[in-house]
Amino acid sequence: MAAPETGLDPAFRQQVVDTMTTVLDRLLDRAEPVSEDMRLMEELGLSSTLGLELMLELEDQLEILIDVELMDQDQMRTVGDLASFVAGHSRPA
Amino acid sequence: MTALEAVSVYLPPDRMPVESLAGPLGLTEMQARLFRRFHGLKEVGRDPGASLADLLMKAAAGLDALRGQEHRVRYVLHARAMPVVVPYPVNPLHEVCRALGLGHALAFTVTHQSCASGLLAIDLAGRLLAADAVPGPDGAERNGPAEPLALVFGGEKTFTREAQVFADTTIFGEGASACLVSAFGGRDRMLSFASSVRGEFDSATGENDARLQREYRPSLAEVMRRALDEAGLALDDIAVVLPHNVNLRTWQRMCALLEFPLDRVVVDNIGISGHVFCADMFANYRTACERGLLRPGDRYLAAAVGAGGGATFAAMVFEH
Repeated sequence: MAAPETGLDPAFRQQVVDTMTTVLDRLLDRAEPVSEDMRLMEELGLSSTLGLELMLELEDQLEILIDVELMDQDQMRTVGDLASFVAGHSRPA
Repeated sequence: MTALEAVSVYLPPDRMPVESLAGPLGLTEMQARLFRRFHGLKEVGRDPGASLADLLMKAAAGLDALRGQEHRVRYVLHARAMPVVVPYPVNPLHEVCRALGLGHALAFTVTHQSCASGLLAIDLAGRLLAADAVPGPDGAERNGPAEPLALVFGGEKTFTREAQVFADTTIFGEGASACLVSAFGGRDRMLSFASSVRGEFDSATGENDARLQREYRPSLAEVMRRALDEAGLALDDIAVVLPHNVNLRTWQRMCALLEFPLDRVVVDNIGISGHVFCADMFANYRTACERGLLRPGDRYLAAAVGAGGGATFAAMVFEH
């Protein structure tokens, strides 16, 4: 699991993780629940389109705007990496 | 050296919000929202009353440099993403040639490289003209004061669903470009052209779609770097990149990969015109000129990817 970035609000990051895993459970229709240390592409098979759909769902549910233009998907291997990015690069909608 | 003598573009003034296309295209609400929010595709141009020939004529109407020079036009090329757009024997290109007084020119369509066919057509036009050149008194190859020209068209109608949307990636807009090309012109000289034709990415089977998604940006970056190498330039030497208007997200990610600032990529038209097939580069060229982004001597790079029946990655470097 990637260490969360310093300076992040731990409570908000956890809220992102919880929302993200719930949304991924539904989007991916998996038998086993999604966890924070799972790898997005290799384990979950998350396509870039589905990844953007996930971002849109997070924006809706958390009422935030994510700075997607700053997101480098190649650097985000796990659910936790992505949650840290969202927690650190978003603002209230 | 191949040069762009004049460029004209027609983009329909009537634009449709992407949400209004969701129903006709069978998009879910989520897909329409993704196009607007993340892909930056907000509106696309449509000209429902115009035929393909009408679109090309509207582009040519803005090509003032063609007036009185029709006799110099030796070749007319139409770069198209769609191999077949009208039933035989209808031929919009020949209609346009007759209407413009270019019935004497050799006219043909350049296709099978999808939206990368536009750059190929420029290269072909320049090479055909250069091959016709005769040496001048000093031995230098040139064609003289009545130097022959080629007219290169791009753009098409979005007449089927396949011509309107590409799987969660882009929405196509109608429009057209018309570009006068010479073999030895002094302005907007083509310094290099690089392309990579990848037949293994044929979308008919879909078996390599995931691989294409992975290799799309590195492959485009590779031809961009190759074009720069051939021109003897580095990316830092490039004033602006004229992209294909596939979507904003792709160019955000391309810029991250290339470590090139997004504000030097002319993405203005993505949100208001959609992906206008082979005409994107020319529309973005006009925008770059209108915004004052190109000064004499500036080097710029046009990049395009044609995907569908295989994939073609292409890049061309010019000097303004």
